[in-house]
Amino acid sequence: MIAMLALPLAALVVLSFWTQNGFELDRTPTLENYAQLVRLTEEPTIWFGIPFYFAYPVPAILMIKSVVMSLSATVAVIALAYPMAYFLAFRVHKHKALWIILITIPFWTSYLLRVFAWKIVLGFNGAINSGLKELGIIDKPLDFLLYNPGAVVITLAHSWVAFAILPIYVSLEKIDRSLLEAASDLGDGKVKRFLRITLPLSAPGTVAAALLVFIPTVGDYVTPTLVGGPGGTMIGNLVQELFLRQNNAPLGAAVAITMMLIIAVIVAIFLWAIGYRRIRARRA
Amino acid sequence: MQRIKFIDKMIDGNLSRRQMMQAAGAFGVGTLILPRPSVAAEVLTCLEWGGYDSPDYFQAYVDKYGAQPNFSIFAGEEDALAKVLAGFAADVMHPCNYSVARFVNAGVAAELDTSRLSHWKDVFPALQSAEGVVWEGKTVMAPADWGNSSLAFRPDLLPPEFTENPTWAIFYDEAYKGRVAMSDNEMAIIIGAMVGGMPYDEAYKLEGAALDAAAKEWGTRAVNTSKFLWTDSSEVQQAMASGEIVAAYAWNDLVANLRNEGVPVEFAKPKEGMFTWFCGLTLLNTGKADEQAAYDFIDAWLSPETGKALIEGSGYGHANMKSFEIADKEAIANMGITDPVAMMADTIVFKTPTDAVQEGFNKVWGDTKALKY
Repeated sequence: MIAMLALPLAALVVLSFWTQNGFELDRTPTLENYAQLVRLTEEPTIWFGIPFYFAYPVPAILMIKSVVMSLSATVAVIALAYPMAYFLAFRVHKHKALWIILITIPFWTSYLLRVFAWKIVLGFNGAINSGLKELGIIDKPLDFLLYNPGAVVITLAHSWVAFAILPIYVSLEKIDRSLLEAASDLGDGKVKRFLRITLPLSAPGTVAAALLVFIPTVGDYVTPTLVGGPGGTMIGNLVQELFLRQNNAPLGAAVAITMMLIIAVIVAIFLWAIGYRRIRARRA
Repeated sequence: MQRIKFIDKMIDGNLSRRQMMQAAGAFGVGTLILPRPSVAAEVLTCLEWGGYDSPDYFQAYVDKYGAQPNFSIFAGEEDALAKVLAGFAADVMHPCNYSVARFVNAGVAAELDTSRLSHWKDVFPALQSAEGVVWEGKTVMAPADWGNSSLAFRPDLLPPEFTENPTWAIFYDEAYKGRVAMSDNEMAIIIGAMVGGMPYDEAYKLEGAALDAAAKEWGTRAVNTSKFLWTDSSEVQQAMASGEIVAAYAWNDLVANLRNEGVPVEFAKPKEGMFTWFCGLTLLNTGKADEQAAYDFIDAWLSPETGKALIEGSGYGHANMKSFEIADKEAIANMGITDPVAMMADTIVFKTPTDAVQEGFNKVWGDTKALKY
C-alpha cells in the first residue's frame, strides 16, 4: 500500500525540485519551478476581464477555470443525485437492491464510452441537433453544444452521478423514521420537516458525495480532451502537456503538486464553512 | 483444483507474499512491483501514427513472424519523443524529415545499416540522401511515405471567391469562426506568419520575442477560429464529411477517404504554398526486441506491396520506385505528382528547426491553447 501510494507521490515531489534542461534533467534541488508559477510581471494577461499579473499566467488561469468548472459539475451532480437517492430511500419499498443495480447499470460501461456517447448526443449531427431539426425548431444545427466548457461540465456531471447517489442514499436510509413521525406529530409541514430533519441528517452523506465528485474532477483530463475543444481545457491537460509535449516533467510535477495543495485548502475551507465538526458531534 | 487450493490457502492465511504477488501478477496487478520474468523473445514495439498500425503496411513482417508487432499510437512526434525519454522501450519510431533530428539529438536514434534492407536499392535516390534521411552524415531514417500538408475544403459549402483562390487566411478569418479546423500543431503559428507575409524559411525558425508576438497574433486567432484542433485524422474527416467544418489543415488521406465516400472535397494549393513531408522508420536504441525483427519491420514498410496499399488506400506517395509500377494506374493519376523530386521542387518542403526553436514552439503553442476561452 505504501509502495503504491507514497512512492509515486514522493517521486513527484522530488521531481518538482529538479529542472529540465533540454533533454537532460538537472538534479540540483531548486525552487525554480514553484517560483515560475508565482513570478509577477508588470504587464497583465487579461482573461475574462480579470488581469493576471503573473509572468506565466497559464497555470493560475487554468486552475481557477478548473475549480469553477468542477464546482458547477459538483452542484449539478448533487442536484441530480439527491432527488434520486431520496426516492430510493423513502419511496421504494420493494426490491431495493434491484433499483440500486438498475441505477448503476449505465456505469458498467467504460468511462471513455460514456464520454464518447456525450460527443454523439451533443455533436453537430448528434441526437439533440437532429431531434430539434426533425421537430422544425431549428433549421441549422446548433454548434455551441460541443467543444466548450459547458459540454465538459455536462459530461462530468453525468459521469459522476452514480458515485453521489450511493453515499446520499445511505445517509437518508439511516435516518430514524420515528424522528420524521415526531416532527409531523408536532405540527411540521412537509417542507419544514424536510428542512429540519431530513436535510441536516443527510448532510454527512451529501458532503461526502460532493467531495467525492469535486476532488477527482478538478484534475480530470480525459473529458476535456474529448469534448472540451481548446476552450474547455483544464489544469489536468496542462500537466499532461507539460509532461509530454513540452517535455518539462519537473514543471509539470510542480503544477500537479500545487494543484493538490490548492484542492486540499479548498476542501478544508469547505468543511470548515459548513461546520463539519458540528455535524459530526451531533451524530455521535 | 489449483484454484480451490489457492482460495483455501488464502483463507487459512498460509499463503506466502510471493505466491500472492504471483497470483496478483496474473491479473496484471503486480507488474510494477514484481521483477518481470524473462521472456524468450520480446515482441517488437513500434511508435506509430494512427492508421499506420494496419497490417496492410507491413504484411511481409506478419508473414514472417506470424503476428503483428505491438503499437503505441502518437498524435505528434514530440509526444512520442517525450514517451521514449520517459522510459518507454520502443524499437521503431515513425518520424518525418523535419522531426528525426530531435530523436538523434536526444540520443535515442540508432544509425541504420542499409545493407540489411533488401528494398533499399529501389528507394528513390533523391530520398536516400535527403536531409532528414541522412543527419550529420549518418542514415537515421528509412524513407517510406511522402505526401502533403495542405488545406482541404468543401467546394460546395464555400463561396467562389475562396474556391477560385484558396488561401490559408481562412483559418484566421473571424467570418469562418467555428467552421474550420486547424491541426493541434504549432504550424498554426507558422502558417499565420506566412499569411502575414513572412516567408516559410523565416517563419519556421521564429524565436524569442518575435515568436511570442506571432503566437499572440496568429496562434490566438487560429485557436479562436477553429471549431476544434484536431489530433486524430478520423475526427477531422467525420467533421468535414458532415459539413460541420468546411476547411481543414489536412494530409492526402483525408481527401482520398472523403472522395471514396462521395463527399466533394478539394485539396487546395493555397497561394501561400502547400507543404511536402516525407516520413520513414527510425531504429531506436531503447528497444528490447531482436534487432533483426526491427530491420524486418522496416524492410516490410519499404516493400512495393506496402507502397501499393499506401497509394491506393490513402493517396500518399511511397519511397520505393517499384510501388508505382504495381499500383492501380487510376490511383496514381489521382495523386497528381508521382515523383518526389518534382513534388519537392513545386512545394515547400518542411525544414528541421533547432532543438531550442522546437522547444520554444512547443511551449508557446501550449500556452496559446490554454488561454482560449
